[in-house]
Amino acid sequence: MIRDFASVLLATIAAVFLLAGPGAATPAREAPWLPEAAAYRLTLFLGNLEPVPWDEVATAWSEPYRGSEFTLGGLAWLGRESAVDTDRLEAAIAQQDRQAVFAEATRLIALRIEEELERAVTAQDPAAAQQAVRTGRELYRAFADGIAAADPEAARRIGIAWLELNSSTGFAGVLGAGATPSDTDTMMAARATISDYIAQNYLVEDFAPRQTLSTLPEIAALGDSNVEVPPALPPGSDIFDQDPLPLLVLNFEEQGIDETDLPLVAYGDMLFDSAQIFGGPARDLGIACSTCHNRSDVNQRLFIPGASHQPGAIDVDGAFFNPIFNDRRDDPIDIPSLRGLRFTGPYGRDGRFASLRDFTRNVIVNEFAGDEPTPFMLDALLAYMLEFDFLPNSMLTTDGRLTDAAPDAAWRGEVIFNTPFAGLGDRSCASCHIPDANFLDRQAYDIGSVTPAYAGARAGAMDTPTLLGTLYTAPYFHDGSLPTLGSVVDWFDETASLGLSEAERADLTAYLETVGAADAPYEAFDEENTAFRLAFSELTTFASTLDTLLPRRDAAHILLLTDTVAADLAADASTMANLAARPEIYALAERLVAVGAAVRDEDWAAAEESWSAFQSEARALEERAF
Amino acid sequence: MAIRMNRRMLMMMAGAGAVSLSAPLLAQGTALRIAFIPQENPEKLLGDIEAITGWLAAQIGVPVEGFVTIDHAAAVEALRNGDADISFMGALPFVLAESEIGAVPLLSEVYRGAPSYTGRIFVRRDSGIASLADLRGRDIAFADPISESGYLYPLAEFERAGLIDGPDGAGAFFGRIFFAGGYQQAMQAMAEGLVDAAGASQYADLLLTPDQQADVTWIAESEPIPSHLVIARPGLDADLQGRFIDAMMQLNEPENRDRLRYLYGPDGYVLADSGAYDGVREMARRYGLLR
Repeated sequence: MIRDFASVLLATIAAVFLLAGPGAATPAREAPWLPEAAAYRLTLFLGNLEPVPWDEVATAWSEPYRGSEFTLGGLAWLGRESAVDTDRLEAAIAQQDRQAVFAEATRLIALRIEEELERAVTAQDPAAAQQAVRTGRELYRAFADGIAAADPEAARRIGIAWLELNSSTGFAGVLGAGATPSDTDTMMAARATISDYIAQNYLVEDFAPRQTLSTLPEIAALGDSNVEVPPALPPGSDIFDQDPLPLLVLNFEEQGIDETDLPLVAYGDMLFDSAQIFGGPARDLGIACSTCHNRSDVNQRLFIPGASHQPGAIDVDGAFFNPIFNDRRDDPIDIPSLRGLRFTGPYGRDGRFASLRDFTRNVIVNEFAGDEPTPFMLDALLAYMLEFDFLPNSMLTTDGRLTDAAPDAAWRGEVIFNTPFAGLGDRSCASCHIPDANFLDRQAYDIGSVTPAYAGARAGAMDTPTLLGTLYTAPYFHDGSLPTLGSVVDWFDETASLGLSEAERADLTAYLETVGAADAPYEAFDEENTAFRLAFSELTTFASTLDTLLPRRDAAHILLLTDTVAADLAADASTMANLAARPEIYALAERLVAVGAAVRDEDWAAAEESWSAFQSEARALEERAF
Repeated sequence: MAIRMNRRMLMMMAGAGAVSLSAPLLAQGTALRIAFIPQENPEKLLGDIEAITGWLAAQIGVPVEGFVTIDHAAAVEALRNGDADISFMGALPFVLAESEIGAVPLLSEVYRGAPSYTGRIFVRRDSGIASLADLRGRDIAFADPISESGYLYPLAEFERAGLIDGPDGAGAFFGRIFFAGGYQQAMQAMAEGLVDAAGASQYADLLLTPDQQADVTWIAESEPIPSHLVIARPGLDADLQGRFIDAMMQLNEPENRDRLRYLYGPDGYVLADSGAYDGVREMARRYGLLR
């Protein structure tokens, strides 16, 4: 018997989850992958990028995937655990032959499944047989989404075969008690069901050419149907919210104005959290504006292999999200904070968009393949984002001077900050990071932080970033190349020959850390004030815009709202501490689904009725929504 | 996730400090030896064991050696032959070990405020199945035949409802009965529609994706099941046993709570109440597992 009770409570480890449900912005945790299965899934993902990052494909097999619980990479693991030969796969990777890599990697996983099935049916004792079945089933998981998409009947047949196989291994019991014998005939029959399908579809000698590398069975690849495997992020990806969660400071809220009284802002808040405004894989994976910009700030943990060179960075014009917008340059950028957005234009790290509206449209349509947003959507998003305020900082006055609460070192550092240096063109740090202008000047400069893309390139100018709130947004520079504010000081000292002593650098760092600090940078949660309560409050606020949209009979925007909020509400229920109240949250989400269904049927009376029911049920639930 | 442990792997890991997958290296009497049972990835468990045994050694004042056994049965064997002094253990294997070798309950795990939990019968919301009787002739997946919440207790609910006459009658009532290998596998089989119902821990739906969780519900719940324990071999030095218990109880203190993640992640421990396991003993007798 396994320690199954405890394992339930270790859901993050034991669950076999897809990374995200369809469209909901609440990603699910994913169970660990076996090393070779992880390498295979990574290979397919990276192999679909253009150009293919071959060094990352090689690393996918030689190193443990990011966040892996295994200390070995796929090849070393196979060397220890398997007799399957990896030479042909390694040769295909070395030759950078995409189709051959697909074929060899696919056959390798198929052979591993076969190897474990053979171990299961020849095992000397039930415990060993069960281990082999579990391992085989974990490896089969590498193909499972392709089979489910292309051949649901086969997926079902094989799923039952795995159950039959596990049930027929026999059980050793404890000290002989509860022992049951194995059922060899059933084991062999179940094994044959799995093996036959694997042989026919994944142990193929000559695979049909693949335009897109996927886990589709060969029979589907040969057919005329255009079956597509739902998009999935590869092992090592992380699109979960940052922990601790940044505190959101909204200007109207600080003034005591209720968001439900600002329907345009509330609708924009919903859109900021909605994957539905994007297209392609982003929408299916539940990626929204807030995935990268947690609570208007950053997400320091976000990582997608092939698109991120380090956590908190992403290349949004690569091959994955919108192939037509692929600039074929491997240039991920550190995710910028959106705090104080109305003061920080122009937009983009290089300030290429003077208009926040143009920038936002570019994000939706080009970076994330969404449909053209309506003017109302852009108005709403801007109305919301322009409410983002900087974090309150009692060590700083509103015009950027230190207060008595600031440490002495910061006061000394402020003098250095305001001192002109020859290496800075007789300017000071404060010349660009103007203290009484939110520590920026809305200009772009080439400070030598960008490696020229070609000889003679004059394309290295970057927008001056604010220093406010930066204590919590490491790393620094457009590419996140400097890990700390201290390293930023060192970089300027060296590249601009400032000639600062160690003590002066420490003082200047203390000043930056003081300017970049905040009284309360993160959301504070406790047993009842949980992340779910925050989500519940937000989602019901989003829904409140129905009070405006229903009378306007604005079907398109209502449906965008109900599709987003109903899915998120149901998905977020999985994070509740108050498990007993989950069914009521599901029922509440269904009220919104009913609003949407009625609007689709143009039955406005029914829509109003479901909306009323939602409001009264939400009010009744509020106390228990944690 | 199950990881096959071959001999090479066992030997390699046996070299990792005080943590090993093989038989304990130290002679009896010089150290406290604790058997751990792997859940998923033995490599991760080895790291966890190293972290917790180091802390325990500092608290108790004697070397603490942790080692991984292949399953509960092997842990009980280790207690019997003196290779282990202490083991983590499920309630059902504990009562069997108590009966066979006189194992002693020390501590019970606490989850969500209680040293107990329940088993439930889960179905898909859209299945139209509203009661246990609706499952007549339908397929069901359980976790494992030696599982309290993943088999015996949920099955007993069918008995209590008068639908089956003991475990032997289950075959006649259900269509097919599967042992999926764990809660997660049983729940996934149900959620995917491979079977009509799953018998598993009350928390097992948390193992499904958020979307799947919204699609499932439960139609029956067992009586409370006493939680997993920490047990000792008979004859373990009383003073050493007492110091071990004191150290483990320190894990309930706020400053030590983060160490619980190294120990299967309970919310804390309470002193074991042997009488709380009478129901499990009775269940084991009824199901022919205990004489």
